[in-house]
Order: sequence, then structure tokens, then C-alpha cells
Amino acid sequence: MKKAMLVFLVAALVTLPLSSLLAYEGGAVSDGGTISGVVKFKGAAPAPKKVEVTKDKEVCAKTAKNDPTLIVSGGNLVNAVVSITDIKKGKKMAPQKVTMDQNGCEYKPHVLAFIVGSSVDILNPDGILHNVHSYSKANSPFNMAQPKFKKTITVKIDKPEAISVKCDVHGWMSGWLFAAENPYFSVTDNSGSFKLTDVPPGTYTLEVWHETLGKVSQKVTVKAKQEAKVTFEMEKK
Amino acid sequence: MAVRGYDENEEKKSYGSVFLLGTSLLVAVSLWSLWDDNITRRPWKKFQTEFYRLDYRKAKAAYDEEDKKLKADPGYQDLVKKLAAAEDSLTRGELAKKLKSLRAEEARATVRFGDLDQEVKFIKSELEEAWYEYDHAVQQGRNTKRYQETIQELEKEKAKVDPQLEAARQKREQLKEEIKNLDAGIKELENQLSKMAAERDKWIRVMENATVNLGLLSIYKIPKIRQIVLDEFDRNNFDEPTGRVDRCQTCHIAANRPGFENEPQPFRTHSRREVLLADSAHSPDKFGCTVCHEGQGAAVNSVRQAHGEVSYWEFPLLRGAKAQSSCASCHLDVQKLQDAPLLAQGQRIFEQIGCTGCHLVQGYENIPKIGPSLRRINAKADASWMVRWIANSHNYRPQTRMPNFSFKEDEATAIAAYLWSASKEEGDKWLEGHPAPAGFREGDKEMAAKGKNLAEAVGCKGCHGLAEGEASTVLGKEKEIIPNLKNIAAKVGPRWIYYWVKNPRDFSPDTRMPSLRLSDQEALAITTYLATLGSKSEAIAGIEEKLGDAKNAKRGEALVRKYGCFGCHDIPGMEKESRIGVELSTFGSKTLEELFFGNRADIRHTWDDWTYNKLKTPRIYATERIEQVMPQFNLAEEDIKALRILLASFRDKKVPSRYTADRSQRAVQVVEGRRLMHQYNCIGCHEIENRGGFIRKYYENPALAPPPLNGEGEKVQSHWLFGFLKEPIPLRPWLNVRMPTFNFSDQEANLLIGFFNGLSRVEIPYAYFDDRKVPKEHLDAARILVSKEYFNCFSCHKQGDKNPEGPQEGWAPDLNLARSRLNPNWIIKWLQDPQKVQPGTKMPSFFPGGPDNIMGGKDEKQIEALRDYIVMLGTKAPGADGGRTASR
Ligand SMILES: [Cu+2]
Repeated sequence: MKKAMLVFLVAALVTLPLSSLLAYEGGAVSDGGTISGVVKFKGAAPAPKKVEVTKDKEVCAKTAKNDPTLIVSGGNLVNAVVSITDIKKGKKMAPQKVTMDQNGCEYKPHVLAFIVGSSVDILNPDGILHNVHSYSKANSPFNMAQPKFKKTITVKIDKPEAISVKCDVHGWMSGWLFAAENPYFSVTDNSGSFKLTDVPPGTYTLEVWHETLGKVSQKVTVKAKQEAKVTFEMEKK
Repeated sequence: MAVRGYDENEEKKSYGSVFLLGTSLLVAVSLWSLWDDNITRRPWKKFQTEFYRLDYRKAKAAYDEEDKKLKADPGYQDLVKKLAAAEDSLTRGELAKKLKSLRAEEARATVRFGDLDQEVKFIKSELEEAWYEYDHAVQQGRNTKRYQETIQELEKEKAKVDPQLEAARQKREQLKEEIKNLDAGIKELENQLSKMAAERDKWIRVMENATVNLGLLSIYKIPKIRQIVLDEFDRNNFDEPTGRVDRCQTCHIAANRPGFENEPQPFRTHSRREVLLADSAHSPDKFGCTVCHEGQGAAVNSVRQAHGEVSYWEFPLLRGAKAQSSCASCHLDVQKLQDAPLLAQGQRIFEQIGCTGCHLVQGYENIPKIGPSLRRINAKADASWMVRWIANSHNYRPQTRMPNFSFKEDEATAIAAYLWSASKEEGDKWLEGHPAPAGFREGDKEMAAKGKNLAEAVGCKGCHGLAEGEASTVLGKEKEIIPNLKNIAAKVGPRWIYYWVKNPRDFSPDTRMPSLRLSDQEALAITTYLATLGSKSEAIAGIEEKLGDAKNAKRGEALVRKYGCFGCHDIPGMEKESRIGVELSTFGSKTLEELFFGNRADIRHTWDDWTYNKLKTPRIYATERIEQVMPQFNLAEEDIKALRILLASFRDKKVPSRYTADRSQRAVQVVEGRRLMHQYNCIGCHEIENRGGFIRKYYENPALAPPPLNGEGEKVQSHWLFGFLKEPIPLRPWLNVRMPTFNFSDQEANLLIGFFNGLSRVEIPYAYFDDRKVPKEHLDAARILVSKEYFNCFSCHKQGDKNPEGPQEGWAPDLNLARSRLNPNWIIKWLQDPQKVQPGTKMPSFFPGGPDNIMGGKDEKQIEALRDYIVMLGTKAPGADGGRTASR
């Protein structure tokens, strides 16, 4: 019986794509350190751009909106995703159940990061028609209508990718679904800072991704139970 | 005494050695002939034996592999044990005894049933007899009593035996059933086992197929010729049909079997076997191999002979991509053949680079001249530019289709002088009626900027590049079928440009360039912009006099005739000239004797080498005595390769219709329509057959680019498309890019419709939608579905004059147009899954997942209701009185 299981396991491993085999192994991390820091924006901070609500004003214009594609707060970049790209072993990883809201014709959060394989509930509390149109390449793209009566749409994202999501009904609506390969990722908050916890000691490549500014990476060394401070700087190309 | 004629010495001589020599020679020759006949001249026997060995070994290995898996599979082993136990208990123990007694009982029951059955049969025949006697007596008027009694008696007897027979039958059946039940467990186990072992046991059949069993001995199969005969495939020299014998699979025995993909030839599996050798495509049992690959199908004496790679065999084996040239023998529409990309590419180049201007080829006779008309050339082109262009067109535009004739400057001047004089009358007249545009100010920056924006917005880039490196449709590797305008100022001036962009057909009635319906102001802006691209040509000293010189013109005329300029250009006075090149209809079948190699000793004497060098350096075979005039096209290596594949497909052999692929009217329409589509470069803007839409690269928002037309035939109604092609209306008013007016003739518009319908396999272009049969409940339900509370369709879709909220770029087409424009069945398909019909469309999927409270929550019903509603929208009172309850 045991032997048979082994044969089965070996067969399963051989038939699985190599990438998934090499991807990530999760477990308990006892002496993990922390990576924290900020993503700075180089250059003059752009003035917040007002978004003009041109449609369904009675619902969508209730809250004032700024262009979310580049938000700089106190010289730091908001809504950038910082992640470790080359970690093979670390804390436990399990698919999550995450939520993206469209309240007031705006994706909240603007950038939603989660572990690949997670289910995303997309909510429509607005009582009007939205559509969720993904511009994915690794995952199969979708474009689903979400009329008033459909309060929730659930999508599962199976491959790591930063997916742009748009609503064709409300041209200004844009958001991102960031499916991360491993559990070490963090979206910079309103002050532009991020934090990754329980990182096993070692040297890693830390990458920051921003929808408008692209990607920047650097090496970082984590020591057991210590905090590594990292500062990124991004600028307009 | 000596007898006359008797020679004693002679009698004493022994001829034994001579006889021995003769006999051994005879034996040796017999053996040799046997050897030669069976071994030397039968190399295929070795191949086949080798193959069977390979086949057997592979199968054995696969069997062992599967067997190992089964041995390691606890479920399977469990079943094996169960089966053994069950069989065991049936041969020994209680069950065995029971089975034995049951079987004995069954035998007895069968005997009893047989006896009774016999008895009943006898009674029945006696009855027949009695009835006969009775009927006879009645007819003769005799007394019938006796017979009646007999009948009654027999009936009584039968009534007694019948139930006994039935009982015996039941008893026998019951026993049979009991025995079966005892066996059933075993049968079931055996079934399960064989199902689990199917993957393994299929290899047993393979092994059996590769071997023969002779009692205990098992040897590899005895080789035999495997041949296919294609009846009446060929024609002999008397034009009588003859069969073709194809024995290739004698050695290429696994061509149509999976699993030999990595074996060496001749045992390899054919590439793309599942597609190419499918029963619906080219089953080797029906077509053999030589139909596509040529070679000497009947020969088996040696590999070289079989492959036809011997002297005087005219059809050597076509390996790899070369086999693509055979596709055209049976397939009319080669552009749709996924597995013949080079042939398709070669055909596109051949049709569009101007080959047919000089060469006649059957099936390509009606391709219009590809170059612009020179009827009024003196009113259009700069004279100095013209001379340089004629001398070497590639200097001005390396990617141009116009070939280089290597004219010397005086020759080029002479030709220009002739063209000037020939176009003078019409050109001057045109100039008279078209004065320099009022308001044109050269170099007006603001106006030029406006013109640039406009040119990019209305869609000029669908065809023309406007800067270095910009290109729309590319022919072959890098040829431009439409000029890049980055240096247009060197060629033409603002006066001509203005009238040209306003209405190209005013200057040249047969031009392919469409009208973009520009207003005077728009045309002026674009003219100002174009006039800034590049710089004016430097004037050649005394050019006016040179072009006005009658002697020059006379010499030019002779040159134009010699080089056949009229093959591509409309030249006044030369409308009736015929093509100057040789006919190429059977070029692929030309033998080496028919190809002129000149004095070239450095070129191998093969068809392929001749053709390659001819395309690469067209005048390469010229000698001092024999001049060649074919111009230099500067073709890329891959384009030459593609053209060679096409040229090789021009064969003199005609395949009988029973072997050919679709040559229906529909296929003809697709081929001709596609050709027209290429001529007008529809794929510059639109994606058709998943190709083209080259302008889309300039758009960040794909919703603002011209729509893809994949599946257009299925989507729109033919009569609507006809009207639209003849006179485009803005379907999507939010687009800046304009569908141009092409001024299609009725015939052209119909050809394009036939093309789209053929691609979509539309069988019936006109279908009637019966308004009266639309049920009222459909319209009622749909009215709710489209409302704001539900799908809110008019949040994006226009409806007649009613515009959606928000900016135009967020809008979607007017649903009032659907009735006359869209095919009702397509609307259903579209609503079911818009992304599948048009990947990337803004239209989201509403289904699956329609609301539960409408039409019983059934998606298909809701879709049908929406379709009916949308089709009815276009009637005068949308939905209102269209919803009569219908009798379906
Ligand atoms: Cu929306």
C-alpha cells in the first residue's frame, strides 16, 4: 500500500508542471525576521487629479474621487506592491477569501493583493450596473456584467499576475488584482510604507510593482528576529 | 575393322567434368537468382522485419510498464485475489458440488423439455392432418363426424401436454439462471479486471499484430508489399485515365500510427498526423503518400528509386515544406490551410507583387494591374523625381513593390519623356479644372499639426506609414503594398495632394484608394501636413526640355514596350498590350531541358536551383546573345522560398474531381472575395480570418479602433452589408476613425459578402424573421430585463436618437439598427457569450446568471426574449404593438 502511494506520488510530481513544483513550500517559521520600509516617489509629487463622474451621478458622484493611478502621500508612493520574488520556503501559504468593493463606482481597495489561488468576491452595493472586465494574460480574461440584482461575483485567480480590472460602464473605474506567488507581499498604505513578517533569515530579491511606474527591485538580507529596513525609490520613466 | 564414323578415341573421352561444370553453374545461377530476387532487390523486406521487431519491442516495453503499474496497484491485486478465490470455490468445496448437481439437473431438464416439445409437435401435425380430412369431407359433402371426433381428441391431448411443456421450459430456465448466478460473481470480477487492465492489454494486440504464431513458435510477421491504388488518378500520354500505385507504406509503415514520433525514418510517425492524416483529411488508405510527396510510388527496389531521386524520373520526393506545393493540386482555397503557410504566403506575394502583370497563370488571369494609373502622370509627379524613380525605385523607397529595372539615366529620362507626352492631353486638362487650393499656406505649422492629428484620427495609418518604420500591411517579409508617405513631398505637390485626398477617384477613377469623405478644410489641413513630409526633389538640369524632346519620347515608348510597364500601369495607348513574360501555368512541371541556364556552370541543374537564382537575380541566365528583361524585386530569402513553393504548385497534372477538396461556388467566392479584400487592404484596419487589423497597434483603447470582422458573415445580414459597403454610415459615432467610401461596384460588394458568408459557412444568406410569431410574454419579459433595474442595456447602447449618459467613447451601437443589421441567430450567440464571439469586447456577459424571477430564471428563455425584443426595437413602435400574442 505504501509503495503504491509512493508510486502515485512520484507519478503526480512528474506530471505536474515543473514551475509549480519549484514554486513555494510553506511551513512553520520560528526565527523569522521582518522587512519594512517605504517606497519613495522621486520628483515633484503630482497634484491629485479629480475624476469627473460623467454617468450615474446620483450614485457615483456621492463621494469625490481622485485619479488612483498615481497617488503620492508625503513624498511616498501609495498602492505599490512590495514582494519577495525568489523565496522558495517560508511561512504557510493557503488560498484566501478576499473582497473588492465597488461602492460608489470606485474599486476599494484600488490594488488588492492576495495569494494566488484565492477567491475574490467582487461586491456591488451600488444598485446600478457595473461590469468587471479583466485584462489578464496569464489567467483567462473575463468580462462579467454585474447588474443591480447581482450583489456578489466570485472569481478565482489561479496564476500569479497583476491583473488590470476595468468597468466599461464607468470609464473612470480601474483597479488591480495582484495575485502573488508566495505569502510575502504587502501593498503600501496611505503613508507609502509596507511590512513583510516571518521572513526566514536569508538574502532575497525584493521587488516593488506600481501600475504606472513599473518595477524596481533590490537585494535585502534578513537576520533572525530582526527588522531589515528598506527604502525604494520610483520615478516616472 | 573400323566402323565408318566411329571414333574410338572419342568414345573413350569423359565429359563428366563439363557436365559437372554446367550443373554447378546452373545451380549457382539458380541460387543467385533466388538470392537476387528475394534479398538484393527486396530491401523493403529488411525494413519491414526491422519495423516489426521495433513495434514488438515497443509494445512489450509498454506492456511491461503497464503491468508493473498494475502489480503495484493494490486495488487491482485485490481483485485478482478475489477472482482466484471465487474460481477456487467453484472448482472445489460446497459450491463446486452444488454446481455439479445443478448442471446434471439442467441436463435432465433439457432432455425432458426436448421430449415434451417433440410430443407437442407430433400432436400439432396430427391435428393439421385431421383438419385437412375434415375440410375435404365438408367439400365433398361426406359425413364429418369422424374427423370432428379425432380433432376433439387431439385438442384434448394437446391441452394436457401444453402446460407440462411450459413447466419443463420454466424448470430449465430456472436452472440455467441458478448456474449463471453462481458464475456471475466471477464474470463481474473478470469484467472489472479487464477494464483496469485495458491500458496494458491493448499492447497484447499490438504484439500479436507484429508476429505470427506457428504452433509454439512465434516469429515476426512475414513482410509483404503494402500498396494502395488510386483509381484513375493519373493520365497517360494518350490522355486516358490510369491508376496510381503507391507502395510507400511498405517501408513507411508507421506513418499513420502514433508512438513513433521519435523513431528514425522510415518508421517515423507523420508530423501533425491527427490532423493531416485524419479520415476526413488525407487518410493514407485512400490517398497514399505520393499525392502530396511525389516520388516513384510503385518502386520498391531501392530507397533512391522509391523516392524518385534518379535520372529521368520527373517527380522527385518532396520533403518537408516542399510538400506544401502539392496542396494546391486539390485545394482551391490555400489561404485557409493552416499546414501550408509557405504556400499561402507565396500566393499572397505572387498575387500582390505584380507577377501577373507579365506572366499569365491559369486561375490568376483577372488580377487587376497593381500599379497606379499613369494616364495623368504629368499632372501628378515631380518630373525629376520621376526620372530617378524609373532609374531605380528602390533608392526612394526600398520596400516598394515596384521592381528595379536597372535603367541608365538616359533610358529613365526617355521613359519619363514618353509617359509625359502620353499623359499630356488628359493631365493638362485635369490641371485646368483643378487650380491650386485657395487658402493653402506652405509650412503653416498650426494647420500642419491639425492635419497630422486628423490624418492619424481618420485612419490614414490603416494603409500608409507616415514616418520611418511605420507600416500597416506588409507583404512577405517587408514589402509595402501601400506607400509610406514619410518623403511624399519629393514626389508630389500640394495641389495634387489636395484633390487626391479629397476624392482620389476624381483623379484616377480606378484607384484602390478610397474616399474618407474629407471636407475642404480637412483636406487642406492634411495637404499642409503631407507637404511637410520630406523635401522637394532637387531639379535635374534641363529636365523640362529633356521630357519635351520628341526623340526621347520615341525611344521611351520602345523601352516601355520592351519592359512591359503596362503590365502594372495603365498607360494611354497601351491598353491592349498583352503580357510580355512567359506563361507560368505549368511552370512547376518544367523539366530541366525546358529551363535555360545560359552559360551558368556554377548553378546546379535542378528546378529548385534554377528558380531560386531566377528570383534572386532575375537576369542571371542572360548571355551575350540572349538578353533578359525581368526586373529585380529585391526579395527576401524567405519570400523566395515561399514563391518557389507556389511556383512548384503550378503543375500540368490535373487531379480528378473525386480526389479534390472543396471547389464549390462558395470556395470560389471565398478565394475571389479574399483577393478583392487584399486589393483594398481591408485587413489594414480590420482583423479578418484572425489576420490583420494592423492599425490597432496605434490605439491604447481597443474600443476606439476599427472593429474586427472575424465571423462577420454570420453576424450581419447580407442586404444590410451590401448597403453598408456601398455607402458606409457611422455605426459607432464615437469613433474618430472612418470607414472609407470605396465606391464598390455591385459585383465587388457581392463578392465581399460572398467572401464573409463563405468564411462563416452561411448557407442561407436571407432568413425571414416573423414578427407575428414573437410571443407577447417575450417582449414583456425583455422589457423588464433591459430596464435599469436589471441589465440596464441603454446605459451604454444608443437607441435611435436616445443617447446613453456619459462620454461617447463609452457608448455601444444603436440597438434600433439591430433589426436590419444583425442576424437574429447571431444575437443569441452573442448574448450567450460575447467574449467567445469577439475576445476583448466591452460587452460583458450577462449569462449564465440571469435573474431568477423572470421567465422562470431560465437563461435560454431570457436570451431568446431579449433577442426578440432587440429585433423588434427597429420597428416603428418598438415593442408596443409588435407584441401581439402569437400562435406558435
Ligand atoms: Cu461601473
